[in-house]
Amino acid sequence: MLSCSPPPSIERARPLLGTVVAVRVRGAAPRAAARAIDRAFAAMSEIHRLMSFHEHASDISRVNRGAARAPVAVHPHTFRVLAWAARMAQLSQGLFDASIGGTLVEWGLLASPNADALPDPQVSFRDIELRRGSKVFFRRPLWIDLGGIAKGYAVDRAVAALHASGIGSACVNAGGDLRIVGSEAEHVVIRTAEPPAGFLPVLELRTGALASSCGASSSRFHAGEWVSCHVNGRARRALDARTTVSVLAGRCVIADALTKIVLADEARAIPVLRRFRAVAHVHHPAYSGSGWRTVGALQ
Amino acid sequence: MKARLLLIPLSPFALVAPAYAVTYLTVEQAQTLMFEGHVLTRDFRTLTAAQTQAIESDSGVKVTNPQLSAWRDDAGGWFLLDQVIGKHEFINYALALDANGVVRQLEVLDYHESYGGEVHLPAWRRQFVDKHHGSPLQLNGDIKNISGATLSCGHITDGVRRLLATYALVLAAPEH
Repeated sequence: MLSCSPPPSIERARPLLGTVVAVRVRGAAPRAAARAIDRAFAAMSEIHRLMSFHEHASDISRVNRGAARAPVAVHPHTFRVLAWAARMAQLSQGLFDASIGGTLVEWGLLASPNADALPDPQVSFRDIELRRGSKVFFRRPLWIDLGGIAKGYAVDRAVAALHASGIGSACVNAGGDLRIVGSEAEHVVIRTAEPPAGFLPVLELRTGALASSCGASSSRFHAGEWVSCHVNGRARRALDARTTVSVLAGRCVIADALTKIVLADEARAIPVLRRFRAVAHVHHPAYSGSGWRTVGALQ
Repeated sequence: MKARLLLIPLSPFALVAPAYAVTYLTVEQAQTLMFEGHVLTRDFRTLTAAQTQAIESDSGVKVTNPQLSAWRDDAGGWFLLDQVIGKHEFINYALALDANGVVRQLEVLDYHESYGGEVHLPAWRRQFVDKHHGSPLQLNGDIKNISGATLSCGHITDGVRRLLATYALVLAAPEH
């Protein structure tokens, strides 16, 4: 008997990358979909293993322990993410900065790594040297944290794994950093730092990446003020806890990093958004009207 | 990339924003997925006060439910069902352990999220069901995605630590 209805979508979720990651595949036979989803999770686990700040054997832990003494070789994936981080840091003049690990440890948001030397308080992304042969060298002792970008890269790797498995329609959502493949429109509810009054913000998108950040995430009180994992890399200040930023871009690694740049400085972020043909929807309760405004590469 | 931001008016009667919820697997589907070709035997336990205390001191995680939903596999492995409640979410998940008590697989079964702390209320589930069907949101019939303040998986990590202590102290312990 012929069936007119397409195969249903299959979705799985696992705790990964510090959040709950869901992978949904549409239009594939159940077994093929299950195999593809397993591969997507395996690809994300690999990125988690390589770039975790806390796991002793991760590339990032090894670099943080030793790269101020001698160059440390890392996996090509780690090197690629560090290259993206360097590019974002340059374009944003340090608003995005992967050398903020020391600041986050000081604020009690990350556990101190078992390193010989404490980070120099004056460090910046300029102290991270990326050398031939996927090697990393620090000009001064510092601690890298890729929390602001690795999740987006992991989502892109999951999408690559799905493509390699012949999947043409899918959605990978790593706690709000997501990427959609295929022509079907998806609706994404944006959870803002301040619950919306009277409206529910929903983004409708097809094929592309979306990442959202708000200053309030994992915030805690430190030395008399609220701090969070989102840091203005230049001023080493926590970002506004009431602002929520959702960035749409072609790849999730770009969208993920851009959210931090927009949160840090909306005006300075505009040329960076345009460079990547990205759009940011920004919510703040003090903004007029609905509380939303849109900046970047507007059509 | 095509995208647009929609601001959907909420019903004036809605006390809270609609909750996001998704079911990935039923218990039966998770059992088939994690223990394909094996026979699972239901072996539910009620933890004694002494066991609860031992699990809490070993794992550092509070035991909120003394009912342990466990199935034993014919090769000595275990299928455990558990639930964790966070500030914004409510998660049921399944853990597969091999015969040595090593985690073989973890699958989230369902996930519910809402604004604020209403997940702590006993009526939370009912409220979600009511809201979901009566909600003015008619986008593909369901809200399948959410983006925003990053959700932590810390509660699941704690839950797994508690279940591993439960395995070591209760399931793997010799019967008295």
